Amino acid sequence: MTDKAPFIKIRGLKKSYSPEIQVLKGLDLDMYPGDRIVVIGPSGGGKSTLLRCMMGLENIDAGTIEFDSKMYIAGKGVGKMNDINKSVQKQVGMVFQHYTLFPHLTILQNLTLAPIKSRGIPRSEAEDKARGLLKRLGLADKAGAQPSQLSGGQKQRVAIARALMLSPNLMLFDEVTSALDPELVNEVESVMMQLAEQQMPMMIVTHDMWFAKNIATRVVFCAGGVVVEDGTPEQIFTNPKEQRTRDFLEKILHTTESAA
Amino acid sequence: MSYTVDFLFLANYWDALLNGLMTTLGITGLCLVLGLGLGFVVALMRLSQNVVVRSVSTVYVEFFRGTPVLIQLFWIFFCLPLVLGIEIGNFMSAVIALTLYMGAIVSETFRSSLRAIEKDQMDACVALGIGGFTKVIYVILPQAILRAIPTLLSNSVSLFKESALVSAVGMSDLMYIGQNISSITFKPVEMLTAVAVIYFLIAFPLTRSVSLLERKLIHKISL
Repeated sequence: MTDKAPFIKIRGLKKSYSPEIQVLKGLDLDMYPGDRIVVIGPSGGGKSTLLRCMMGLENIDAGTIEFDSKMYIAGKGVGKMNDINKSVQKQVGMVFQHYTLFPHLTILQNLTLAPIKSRGIPRSEAEDKARGLLKRLGLADKAGAQPSQLSGGQKQRVAIARALMLSPNLMLFDEVTSALDPELVNEVESVMMQLAEQQMPMMIVTHDMWFAKNIATRVVFCAGGVVVEDGTPEQIFTNPKEQRTRDFLEKILHTTESAA
Repeated sequence: MSYTVDFLFLANYWDALLNGLMTTLGITGLCLVLGLGLGFVVALMRLSQNVVVRSVSTVYVEFFRGTPVLIQLFWIFFCLPLVLGIEIGNFMSAVIALTLYMGAIVSETFRSSLRAIEKDQMDACVALGIGGFTKVIYVILPQAILRAIPTLLSNSVSLFKESALVSAVGMSDLMYIGQNISSITFKPVEMLTAVAVIYFLIAFPLTRSVSLLERKLIHKISL
């Protein structure tokens, strides 16, 4: 391991939605090449906000995010627009909890809109790629369907395919299975496992601890707007160092068990 | 004095009425197209971050929604030529007045349908690097129009009916022709009834189809 330069370097990330509600309170986090980070933690702890900031969806109040040693996002202060390096932003893809497909477009059009109109990729090339992706994700027969005709699990797989169309170098997954019926969770998670096998760098927010254990190379416990604990899945799930991590996991595992 | 109702005489005037109807439909169609374009732009202006853009568009909409169309039409026909020192014919006045009226009304329709497009559609655009013109044309506009279609159809029916006002500046539309024939022939009951029925026969199916479309489209765009 000679290459120790972090792939993503987050320093002093602060974000508040109002003076009283500060969600991120100076968060630091490094992501190294090959990392698949699962972020866990209580609601309101800043997990989703962290991902939204990394996608450039939120104006951060302070801090910096570097991507491959290049400046990506720099906070200019409360209420001010961030400096965002657009060429870096193009390398980041994100999948959301509520799919966010374009409801008026077919599945194929959902996949090809950004490549054709924003990246200038020829239509035939984009459509070939889209059909290939749909086939790989088991959705080959859905190319001409409308999003409203798909199940939640299918919609979410389309959303993943849509993000992959732009060949991202980092994928962000924000609670992508939380809105799904339990029997549909697996089809989405197995697509993510496929991506993991292809060494796609990912940062995932999930409440599914079993999945976290399986897919993560690192687990980050985020609470109160900072990273409380950071370690391998084995270490975090079997031997957490911090009391707050232990309390959280006990509560989560307890509820999962009583639900089962 | 007794009045004998005789609808048969109408047969002699079908051609004239049909011509009037064509004028009515022509003006309605033209102002509909112009008004839709204007209304969409105004709706975007009203949602702008810029205070000046927002204020100008708000004043326009509130003014045209808050005054009778007849006054707007008369003002443009009688007063605007005096203010500007140019000739504005009755056709031009009618088009300007009804377009401005329609623009104000449909901008409200577009504004609420734009607002109904969820914020997460915008998030998706950022995440996919879809911005500016592409975002408006391919993501926002189609969804806004789909959501707005039922209300826009009602707005169009209103425009069609309001267009009868252009008879007041001498445009020979359905209303004007009907009125003229009724005073020449002294047959107001038959003539004005016939005119009302013609308006109704066109407006009614449109109004009915609004609720049908509403159900279909809502299904199409609900995720």
